[in-house]
Amino acid sequence: MRTWHVAADLVREAAARRWFLGLALALTLLLLGLVGGLRLEVVDGALAATRLFGRSLFTPIRPADVALRPVFVAASYLTFYGGMAFGLLACSDFAPALLSPGRIEQLLALPVRRWELLAGTFLGVLVLGVAGALYGAVGLVVILGFKTGAWTWHPLLAALLASVGFATVYAGMLAAAVFVRSAPLSAAVGGLLLLSGILAGNRRVLLATMSEGAGRWLFAGWTRIMPPLSRLADTAADVAAGAAVVPAELGTLVSECVLFSAGALALAVWRFEQRDF
Amino acid sequence: MTPALEATGLHKRYRRRLLGRAGTDALSGVDLAVAPGTAFGLIGPNGAGKTTFIKCLLGIAWPDRGTVRLLGRSPQEPAVRARVGYLPERLHLPGAWRPPAFLRAVARLKGLAPGASELREMLARVGLLDVAERRIGGFSKGMRQRLALAAALLGRPELLVLDEPTDGVDPLGRMEVRRLLEAELARGTTLFVNSHLLSETERLCQRIGILSGGRLLREGPLEALCRAEAWWEVRFAPGAPAAALVAAGFRPAGEGTFRLDAEDAAAVNAALDRARAAGALLVGLARASRTLEDVLTDALRSRA
Repeated sequence: MRTWHVAADLVREAAARRWFLGLALALTLLLLGLVGGLRLEVVDGALAATRLFGRSLFTPIRPADVALRPVFVAASYLTFYGGMAFGLLACSDFAPALLSPGRIEQLLALPVRRWELLAGTFLGVLVLGVAGALYGAVGLVVILGFKTGAWTWHPLLAALLASVGFATVYAGMLAAAVFVRSAPLSAAVGGLLLLSGILAGNRRVLLATMSEGAGRWLFAGWTRIMPPLSRLADTAADVAAGAAVVPAELGTLVSECVLFSAGALALAVWRFEQRDF
Repeated sequence: MTPALEATGLHKRYRRRLLGRAGTDALSGVDLAVAPGTAFGLIGPNGAGKTTFIKCLLGIAWPDRGTVRLLGRSPQEPAVRARVGYLPERLHLPGAWRPPAFLRAVARLKGLAPGASELREMLARVGLLDVAERRIGGFSKGMRQRLALAAALLGRPELLVLDEPTDGVDPLGRMEVRRLLEAELARGTTLFVNSHLLSETERLCQRIGILSGGRLLREGPLEALCRAEAWWEVRFAPGAPAAALVAAGFRPAGEGTFRLDAEDAAAVNAALDRARAAGALLVGLARASRTLEDVLTDALRSRA
């Protein structure tokens, strides 16, 4: 229960930060812009014409649900990578702030277990990630649904997959912050994990282009333990578009990310339990 | 009776792994027990290990050796920490929050669910009710200190561990904080105070410990520590026969005063009888006592 309280306090703290207020404002303005500026003419279930702020966009006449797929794919990639880039910067100092002198002493003297503080911080960031991704996705689905009559829940699932990706990276950031209390370092670790995750997602293709040797061996080893984020992003985009996704493959991808997160969190808890403050 | 707080053979060494530098012994075998319902003051110079001692007590830092018991149990048990209030030396409060929100968050982590009126009452106790709607970020150091004290007092703790409770608080505020702590003491709360302000410690605490270099140099009731030497300051009316007084055991201490070494009241009266027989007229008598500052200085000197 106290884990939830820590998470709720983190969300409250985030609500007072300019970064998150800015994101909420930007998303809302974007959605309101779509509400007011996007005109979609649907005839017998087919998208006949599209106007954005009065300008006519050339689009072939297609069924509305088919015509919206590229939009959802683009939104999915934007949510995945854009959201992650935003999260790397905006969430990098949550853990360092938790561990800051004067705050951590007070928290540790309360009837809260050390692991609950870390779990609460992770959970709070996860809530922020899910809320941000779903806010944008639900808004987009509702607006386009009303304008075209084509309703789909696939972009919501894609947004949840984006949240899984971000949670994976944040677990690594949290672990880094427990070892060295530094927001820039935490963000840098997040950036490195994102990059490594993109490489890990394209592991097979890249390994095929590399000649044998220590470099290839190191690359193979490194990308073996990194979460395959780019594959997760591609899968999320497929899901958003309503394309067929093999459940077992999706399950494996998510499991790899969850396993990586669990490992990073276990490392963070192990170090946190030992540390003096 | 189980002590409210008990440390036995407490050792703590801060290791420096980088550049091969030697570590620092912050605590070197500290033994201390504080009885329930009393006020204990820990004093000592900077770097004496006072804050480390408190951190070891509360499970914030891990001692290398020794044991700690809070209210008869391990400080690692959350249930014990729920009965303890702590005011840290350094404070990092959420600047964007308002005091009631901060107190509510701390209360929730303590397993409490105070109502708005209870929170306002607590803010009134620490003199922050007027600024309850202001953001903490705009608070002065003293106001932050009061707010942190309010957080420590939430849930009516049985043991209050206060690290520099009046640091940054103005003189009037110090008086208010002292009254508040005296009220807690009267309620039966055990106080453990670490303070640089010796006069504050002297006024509040019945027992004092002097920590230096990680060792407890002196520990005992305040009165006993400040009355380590048995001597009296005696003042006679002008014209007292100095030679006769010296013969009676009085030593001149300047400006018409004399010092008399005497173990008890009988010895004092015997000496005074001799002085009066020699024609001296007594106008003032006071048992000499040292200030806490003297005690601290002596303790540190003897260690050096």
